[in-house]
Amino acid sequence: MKKQAIKRRGALLLVAAAMCGFMLLGPALASSAEKPVVLGGSLPLTGEYAETGQWIERGMRFWADEINAKGGLLGRSVEFKIYDDQSNVGKAVTFAEKAITVDKVDLLFGGYPGTAARAVMPVAEKHKFVYVSMGGHMKSFEQGYTYSFGAPPLMGEWWYEGFFQWLATLPASERPKRAAVYTINNPVGLSLQDSINRWTKELGIQVVINEKYNSPLADATSLIVKAKQMNCDIIMSNGFFPDGVTTMKAAKALDYNPKAIVQGIGSVVPAWVKELGQDGDNVFSGTSLYNKLNYPGNDKLNAYVKKTFNIDGYPLYFGFGYAWMQALEQGVAGAKSLDQTKIRDWLKSHEIATIAGPMKFDKRGLPAPINFCTQIINGKVELIWPKNVRTKEPVYPKPAWKK
Amino acid sequence: MNSVLVIQSLISGIMMGMIYALLGVGFSLTWGVMHVINIAHATFGLLGAYLAYSLLQRFGVDPIFSAAASAPLLFLAACAVYRLLIRPIAQAREVVVASMILTFGLAIILENVMVLLWKADPRVLTPVYASGALIVGPFYFQYPHLVGFGLSIVGISAIYLFLKKTYTGMAVRAAWQQPDAARLYGVNLYRISMITFALAVSTAGAGGISLALLYSFEPHSHNLWLIYLFLVVIVGGVGNVAGVALAGLIIGVITGLSMAFLPYQWVNIVTFGLLMIFLIFRPHGIFSQGV
Amino acid sequence: MHKRFRIVLAIILLLLASFPGFRPEVYYLSFMFSIFMYVILATSWNFIGGYAGYLSFGHAAFFGIGAFATAKAAVFFGLTPLFTILASIPAGALAAAVALIIGYPCLKIRGPYFSVVTLCFAFVVELAVKNIEFLGGAEGIWLKFMDIPEQISRTILYEVMLLLMVVTLSVAGWLHRSRFGAGLAAIRADEEVAETMAIPTARLKMQAFALSAFFPGIAGGLFAYYLTYIHADVVFNINISILIVLMAMFGGGGTWLGPIVGAVILTFVNEGLSTFAQAEIARILYGALFIVVTIFMPNGILDFFRLRKGRKI
Repeated sequence: MKKQAIKRRGALLLVAAAMCGFMLLGPALASSAEKPVVLGGSLPLTGEYAETGQWIERGMRFWADEINAKGGLLGRSVEFKIYDDQSNVGKAVTFAEKAITVDKVDLLFGGYPGTAARAVMPVAEKHKFVYVSMGGHMKSFEQGYTYSFGAPPLMGEWWYEGFFQWLATLPASERPKRAAVYTINNPVGLSLQDSINRWTKELGIQVVINEKYNSPLADATSLIVKAKQMNCDIIMSNGFFPDGVTTMKAAKALDYNPKAIVQGIGSVVPAWVKELGQDGDNVFSGTSLYNKLNYPGNDKLNAYVKKTFNIDGYPLYFGFGYAWMQALEQGVAGAKSLDQTKIRDWLKSHEIATIAGPMKFDKRGLPAPINFCTQIINGKVELIWPKNVRTKEPVYPKPAWKK
Repeated sequence: MNSVLVIQSLISGIMMGMIYALLGVGFSLTWGVMHVINIAHATFGLLGAYLAYSLLQRFGVDPIFSAAASAPLLFLAACAVYRLLIRPIAQAREVVVASMILTFGLAIILENVMVLLWKADPRVLTPVYASGALIVGPFYFQYPHLVGFGLSIVGISAIYLFLKKTYTGMAVRAAWQQPDAARLYGVNLYRISMITFALAVSTAGAGGISLALLYSFEPHSHNLWLIYLFLVVIVGGVGNVAGVALAGLIIGVITGLSMAFLPYQWVNIVTFGLLMIFLIFRPHGIFSQGV
Repeated sequence: MHKRFRIVLAIILLLLASFPGFRPEVYYLSFMFSIFMYVILATSWNFIGGYAGYLSFGHAAFFGIGAFATAKAAVFFGLTPLFTILASIPAGALAAAVALIIGYPCLKIRGPYFSVVTLCFAFVVELAVKNIEFLGGAEGIWLKFMDIPEQISRTILYEVMLLLMVVTLSVAGWLHRSRFGAGLAAIRADEEVAETMAIPTARLKMQAFALSAFFPGIAGGLFAYYLTYIHADVVFNINISILIVLMAMFGGGGTWLGPIVGAVILTFVNEGLSTFAQAEIARILYGALFIVVTIFMPNGILDFFRLRKGRKI
């Protein structure tokens, strides 16, 4: 019996040692034929944020295929080393470190969500690696990091700028007077509050209800009932997809008809239009980039997603993945080197062109405030602000629900 | 505060709570009767939801039919799962823990299989009555809530009656309360266990579909739904079908009242906190024992 | 046997402590850091879970309390790196104190209900932190990182976590051989009988619970400093709670070596799979591992290998 136990123990140790060996040697076994430029990092490919993570990956890969067809970056082909951080922030940090220190990648790419970006930004800073990502809203860009860029960022503080700027163009009599503001209690929601507080004061909108809620939002019925009872003619549902859906369904079922419904970041995923159909219409939101903008590249991406996924217009996170790669690409090409500090300095002193428009980065790594406003009209996400990129006239006030 | 808000919150809260109870009844049953904590129970519920979604999108089949159809399908699947996975560990020294670990692995597998089959995109069940409501006076009874509530009443009653009135059901209860005596009476414990497990999982489909009528879902949602299951079990008591139904009611009332009276920020914490306090004072759930 | 085992252990620890001396890449330091952390979490959980048989499903609460207390103190008092690390100790004590307070009513609850009440407790703590600015808030907390090369700062955290692991394992070893541990085992076997044998079950349970919260609290503080940004969703995550339970029981609850085996294997496997397989396939294989091991080793890995004939390690 004892011999058997020892044999088994030996086998277990052998297996364990082999695993460790693989992990340590793995990177060293990579061939060094024609050295490609390697971009490394992690994305949430499984777990809570899998949907978004996968779209970002698709956008990144599309960029890679494109640039490789054109001869690559600095004459070398581009390759990815994408780790799955399983929607876990701790893993996002260790995989960033792995990419930088073990795989010794040439470039680091940004992930999702904002909390992961907030945790990876210091890692990139400590290792002096340029980090282009969606960022973690304004607070993350005020930590004094020099290597981080939002190209473009997903900036809660800017998200509703466009909407309010448009609202300001309406005569005061037509604007809503009483607002119901429901905000999810996390970094995204909190960053949205900033512009709401400022603008409602400026536009003379009385914020009658101003409540935060924690995820998950089990039931939106009383939220809508309250908004109805207090005669709120605008409701701002500052949350994600699941709570946004719950709120919209309740609004329709309870026949709540404000002049405008504004939603946070849930309405920008393709599923919103696909799943809610008409019931998701007329919702206002913001965005960081948009597939109907006239900037070069947008039609190529649209054609690609139409052919591959049969969607009209590339989704937001596909665009993010692609745009972040564009920024890295131009930084490298401009600096003519893979030296991170040179790339950073070049990016901070030159304007770049992306599918989201031209960007000039400030000290913090941010472009000029983005002020797009979107509205979902007839099942399509349209741009309604700024005026010069408007794709459709906004529908206001909100028409009655279609039964 | 105004009574319309309170009553309306209670109405939708109670319907919501009963829907949690439907998914919870099978979970509670396996835990109580077989000492198996089926972490994958919510994942089976999700499977039901995806089934209903696909049938609705492709063939326009209403989720109510899918709920009924899912039961036999899941029953068979659960029999297979029991034979292959649960039976081997049924004799373990710590079945509770072993079952937890095993079904945890099963849940991860099922979640990622769902990603491969349906992608990670969130889905919403939108039958014809998706955003309508029955209006009684100033009160709205949202149709999806009503349907889910109806399914819940039917499902939980069915389980309850099965256990109390049918021969197999009584055998299940006997096997749970007095396994040795039951064996002496010729009850095949192995078959009874398998039937119990399969029955419990078969209700998961209807439960998952009812939840999907309320909320959007994606492969990872089972993680969240599992929390609702644990809540229902606290209040209802492990293995107690009537308790689970009452638990749904209580959770619904607590949620409804909190949403009417408290800032929303505090609703979740009050719900969990009250349930904690409840459990501290009634450590075995509402009723002491008994299926 | 005993002496040989001690020598092997000492050698392993010496190797681990001197590992940074070989100037490994920062990632390996971070990876080992997380292994040490999970060993600490699983071993500590085991005091109340494996030994006493009270399966806490909300242990991440103590980890999170330690993390937030340390972060808050560091920011509020503007602590230097040394004191930030030291602050994790009172943070751990705070976690232990909370465990005592919550343990008093909760440890009266048995079996599955104890598990569920601790699960609830974890949510209550997380929500409280998110709602109350003073406790942390929903924005998360940034810590100033050490103004020294990354290699050195990671090394420092590595060694500190290693030290904490050694301390935790020593306490676990002491507990295993002590009357305290025997008392806990008696509680798990049959609590009523233990009471009739004049074992102070209530006191022992409370002590075990507090002890099981202390080390995770400190680990939480160190983790906060390692990430330099913490958020409630990250440190109070239910997946941490569940993973700790799995690690301890997977390896073999109620044993000294069990949590170590579970923590090390699961962390390595998870990392390895993520590196070498496509995302969903990696997760499916990971899930399959649990199923396979449980079917073939239903009482934990250690029990299957029966390392010490007769005597439980």
